[in-house]
Amino acid sequence: MKAAPFEHHEPTSLSKAVSLLESLDDPTILAGGQSLVPMLRFRLARPDTVVDINGIDELDYLDESDGYLKIGALARHADIEESDVVTENYGSFADAAPLVADPQIRNRGTIVGSIAQADPKGDWGSVLIAHDGEVVAEGPEGERVIPVDELFLLPYDTSLDENELITEARVPTPPEREGSAYHKLKRKTGDYAMAGVAARLRFDDDGTIADAGIGMTAVDITNARAADAEAHLEGERPSAELFQKAGELAAEQSNPESDEHGDASYKERMVNVLTQRALGDAAERAGVVKRRATP
Amino acid sequence: MSSDSDFTTEPKEYQHDDDGGPQPEKHCGHGRGGMGEEVARKEDKRFITGRGNYVDDIKKPGMLHCEIVRSPHAHARVENIDGSRAMDLDGVVAVLTADDLLEHDLATMPTLMDDTQDVLVNEKVKFQSQEVAAVIAEDRYTAKDGAEKVKVDYEVLDPVVDAAEALEDDAPLIREELDDQEDNHIFDWDTGDKEATEEAFAEADVTVTEQMEYQRLHPAPIETCGAVADWDPGNDKMTVHMTSQAPHAHRTLFSQVSGIPEHKVRIVSPDVGGGFGNKVPIYPGYVVAAAASYVLERPVKWIEERSENIQTTGFARDYDMTGEIAATEDGVIQGVKVDVLANHGAYNAAAQPSKFPAGFFNIFTGSYDIEAAYGSLTGVFTNTAPGGVAYRCSFRVTEAVYLIERMVKVLADELGVDPAEIRRRNFIPSDAFPYESATGWNYDSGDYEKALDKALEMADYESYREEQKRRIEEDADKLLGIGISSFTEIVGAGPGKQCDIAGIEMFDSADLRVNPTGNAVLRVGVQTQGQGHETTFAQIVAEELGMDVDNIVVEHGDTDTEPYGLGTYGSRSTPVAGAAAAVAARKVRDKAKSIAANELEAAEEDIQWDRQSGEFHVAGAPDRSITITEIAAGAYMNHPGSEEPGLEATNYYDPPEMTYPFGSYIVVVEVDRETGEVDFEKFVAVDDCGNRINPMIIEGQIHGGLAQGIGTAMLEHVTYDDNGNVTGGDFMNYLLPTANEIPNFETGHTVTPSPHHPIGAKGVGESPTVGSPPAIVNAVVDAMSHAGVTHVEMPMTPDRVWESLNEAGLALDPSQNVSFDFEGGQSEGPADD
Repeated sequence: MKAAPFEHHEPTSLSKAVSLLESLDDPTILAGGQSLVPMLRFRLARPDTVVDINGIDELDYLDESDGYLKIGALARHADIEESDVVTENYGSFADAAPLVADPQIRNRGTIVGSIAQADPKGDWGSVLIAHDGEVVAEGPEGERVIPVDELFLLPYDTSLDENELITEARVPTPPEREGSAYHKLKRKTGDYAMAGVAARLRFDDDGTIADAGIGMTAVDITNARAADAEAHLEGERPSAELFQKAGELAAEQSNPESDEHGDASYKERMVNVLTQRALGDAAERAGVVKRRATP
Repeated sequence: MSSDSDFTTEPKEYQHDDDGGPQPEKHCGHGRGGMGEEVARKEDKRFITGRGNYVDDIKKPGMLHCEIVRSPHAHARVENIDGSRAMDLDGVVAVLTADDLLEHDLATMPTLMDDTQDVLVNEKVKFQSQEVAAVIAEDRYTAKDGAEKVKVDYEVLDPVVDAAEALEDDAPLIREELDDQEDNHIFDWDTGDKEATEEAFAEADVTVTEQMEYQRLHPAPIETCGAVADWDPGNDKMTVHMTSQAPHAHRTLFSQVSGIPEHKVRIVSPDVGGGFGNKVPIYPGYVVAAAASYVLERPVKWIEERSENIQTTGFARDYDMTGEIAATEDGVIQGVKVDVLANHGAYNAAAQPSKFPAGFFNIFTGSYDIEAAYGSLTGVFTNTAPGGVAYRCSFRVTEAVYLIERMVKVLADELGVDPAEIRRRNFIPSDAFPYESATGWNYDSGDYEKALDKALEMADYESYREEQKRRIEEDADKLLGIGISSFTEIVGAGPGKQCDIAGIEMFDSADLRVNPTGNAVLRVGVQTQGQGHETTFAQIVAEELGMDVDNIVVEHGDTDTEPYGLGTYGSRSTPVAGAAAAVAARKVRDKAKSIAANELEAAEEDIQWDRQSGEFHVAGAPDRSITITEIAAGAYMNHPGSEEPGLEATNYYDPPEMTYPFGSYIVVVEVDRETGEVDFEKFVAVDDCGNRINPMIIEGQIHGGLAQGIGTAMLEHVTYDDNGNVTGGDFMNYLLPTANEIPNFETGHTVTPSPHHPIGAKGVGESPTVGSPPAIVNAVVDAMSHAGVTHVEMPMTPDRVWESLNEAGLALDPSQNVSFDFEGGQSEGPADD
């Protein structure tokens, strides 16, 4: 890699990182480097200073506490893949982790880094949307919590202040009778999604859908919420017809672009298919329905 | 082995061995690592332990680094180049432009098709990322910084990237510097008998036609191209370590371009990290590094970045083909026609040494006995990178095989005949060899039905056909498709009458020297890039001299020590240099016989060579025997008066004909009706490459080539937008398959030796890349052919497959095949009826 010259800082505590971010001119944060390193290599990113947070041990955690799954800024995709807590209770996370990039990258790349990058093709933003998650940001003014719906503004642009960094992403621990899933269509291992859908369903005791969350990957300028589909699901009993309608509504709300990997109309169609598939998995994982093939 | 060959070239001395030659199916396993033994690759120790030596590993004292300034535009006039800001950087030594190269007459270089390409752009850019200037600096980072600071003023011109559009009247003229060039047309070529073919079509019961594009691919070796050029003013000698598949040919070309006499040019191709045809041409970067070293009198290294490799060095394929077949109602093919529009990019730089402008494309009659054939082809300039390299294939045989194997499937579907059966009805019969095709090729040997039958059996073909039927009847959500390809290859370029590079006929060479202590060095003119030559060529010598394979070392890649050769590509190494190695060994054996006679105190005519024991003995007295090790000692310490001392031989081998490996591949896929995704269910590859030297290496070659075939069929495409920007020019957009995309391969083989090759071998490396794409496309089409689908373009992206499903009424919504039964908790009744 022949990056443009930059200054490299390696703080060992969060407070040092925050004061560095405040004192430096236009700093860039390096966590796993999953996106930043290729951009440096192409010289698309030309930061004067890079603040490497990999030495901040206090950010390296993944645990379930206080009613949340908490993902520290240095938790790697591989940590999610290997976590028993995630495997048991957080279906969409367990689905998404092995679909991110390839094993080498999953050993370095972080969930929080991916969210902060705000690439509409990133998988975690959609998962966070489906779970009504939030991020914790630390800056000179202290800590604040940003709900996911207020985080993504534009491609690669978030509502973070210049001097802030995300220290944690978190989602509520699912109650009984909740399930979630993530489906991703990609052309090969390591490739970005052509389309991806995260879905979460929580059921009332009578089997109606109490709460639905659907996040979409790579089909809009940011990770996007399929709000119409969510509204259509709530208060209804799960059925193939219901999920089909939700799929249609999600597809209508998506806004994909054609590229060399796929046509926009195809991607819209796939949002529909993936939404139906993810909803089916979510409902099944909630323990409410059993899926049966009807040839 | 057939002996009634009627090849035009007389069999040469040593070509047919007096003891019948090796027959590994019978003899393999005499335990010395000869023919047919699975000898572990000698080269792997250094590769696996990280001790390989690639061009970028080479460091020389005082070495400078070169970075190339490239055009962001596809078509633009260069108005001014200002390197002063780059020169202001600490560590930048020089900025070179076309003007500097003109002073040394190095501003242009010939392509392998006699076109002239700018080394650095002189006046006009003709494709995106073309070489405009070069920055030479003390380290590679500074060189890159400097390249960014070179200011180039462009007048941007309209580009044309599509071959058909390039032929339109109002298309921009790309090659205005060429005399008499008034449009973007390069050449027209036709082959076969037009009249007889038209007649066959007029009289046929059935004709079918299909248009298909063989998309632009890149060979994408993991090691990109690079060079370390070192001009030695003390000895007036230029040494270039470079990523070369053909070091000697490159030496000759370097000498011609630079004017440095050939004996003062040394090309060294050290370990090469994959070539696949990408490292056959000369690229501007090599010439710039050499020119910079000459001017600055210091070594200069140039190493390409990945995106530079994909965007500017030789692409492959890019043929837009329309095929037609005429047949009887029983499916007997009477004629085949093909018309091709070939996108050659901004220069005609196809790396193919045949005497035909489209290489061996005229092998498009394939494995079939077709009386009438006619092909026409038009080559076109566009504002895209030049190329047309033989990516793991012999010069357009890949496109030809794709065409005929796709067309046979189209015909089978039209007639409702099983695709295996229609092949049987048309195969060249095994007793018809040697066979002359309608377009003039002399096939050496083949038994196509045997290979197909074996593949059908291995694939359990009939039961998949039943399963396919069942799924269609039950309206299953995943369709099954079964694809066949029964390809014939043409490799071993080649006879001097058909193939040359810059006029040099395409022989190859081997130089074998047996040492006094009984071990040997074999030097060859071909250059391995992963094929395993260091092992297989040693096995050939081990077989022919009764030596242990561990006692033979194979050297290659250094023009100062190796005999002249034309390099490795097009599966030519075993057919040509492998033959040279065998013949050189037989010459040594001949001399060894007289030494044996001297040592054993017998008459030379009484000395017999025993292939099985690997020893010489006196006729009728097997106990009076002597090994090559003992003979070697005799050659240096007790040589007979009738012979010179020493024990060595050289052979330059001009093959009498090409060789024709073949095989049958069967691919079973599942097609997801909801998404258009394709999954491989089964992948059977039966190959016949004649006598087999090392079955393990062959299997490795087959696996690698099949993986590349899957990349071709499913993933890879160098794409451009209308402005000539490369949109598929890095590994984020040019998708190579990984282990996850590769199914389990089941390989098998038949053995039909080449009658004219000294060890009956044919070459195999490219067969899987050539043979597998049509099998894969045929399989995907086959899943939908009951609903009228006849073709899906490569790469078969999910959206292309889904589009076909949708048009054929086969696309499925998830809700159509699933219901949800309520089962949790206190609610009454099922949630879903």
